[in-house]
Amino acid sequence: MTLELQATPEEVMRAVEAVQELARAHGLSEKTIFGLALALEECGSNIVNHALQRDARQQFRVAVELTGRSFVIELRDRGPAFDPTSAPERPPRADDDDGPGGWGIQLVRRHVDEIRYQREAGENILRLTKRLPADTHSV
Amino acid sequence: MPLEIQVLKSMSPQAAGSVTIKLNGSLDTATAPELERQLTPVLGGAIKDLAFDLAQLKFISSAGLRVFSTARKTLRERGGQVSFVNMQPQIQEVFEIMKSLPGVAVFKNVAELDSYLAARQRSHTENQ
Repeated sequence: MTLELQATPEEVMRAVEAVQELARAHGLSEKTIFGLALALEECGSNIVNHALQRDARQQFRVAVELTGRSFVIELRDRGPAFDPTSAPERPPRADDDDGPGGWGIQLVRRHVDEIRYQREAGENILRLTKRLPADTHSV
Repeated sequence: MPLEIQVLKSMSPQAAGSVTIKLNGSLDTATAPELERQLTPVLGGAIKDLAFDLAQLKFISSAGLRVFSTARKTLRERGGQVSFVNMQPQIQEVFEIMKSLPGVAVFKNVAELDSYLAARQRSHTENQ
């Protein structure tokens, strides 16, 4: 499944709902679905709010690959190079926390098994992988 | 998934002046601004105690946590706090990230929250 999306919060949630639907159709647990939805919401809104500055004329892409063993969400955007995986792990500050390495990336780290970043031909490519129990159906 | 927001002012004498906000649906990057908008007049009043009832909240992301945290900051400045009640397990997991912040209290259910608010109300009255 591949979605071309405009850089708006509503489009991020359109992708989240599509992923939830796909994951549900393949019998993934509600806990896994919640984690995937959360990771995509955080990374997608990061692209929209920071990389693409909420410019609705800009586009980004979400692709999903489901094998028997893993659920992979790939996000691609043409914003400035930014590697969210390079944000240091640190405890939450005792204040509102919206910077790099803030709550968003911490939540992504907690809910998927692997986060990989690549910069290729002017694109940010972020791959989120969630390993699945052995008996999940593939597409 | 949309977010339904219900703002309820307490009628019980034990919890006078406290406000409960019931959230139903998804508190995310698309819906958080609406909650923020509806919170502005609530926080603009003199209230010290604000409770969020999350029994029907199905999804939350850091965008939602940030709205809660802004409310926490505002109330803390006037000696108040934000309480959360009826959190579902997955919401609770996301919430872990901010529950240790000062000015945040978490309760299992409304009965627990009410007895806490009543005790706070008594101490406010005694201090006046």
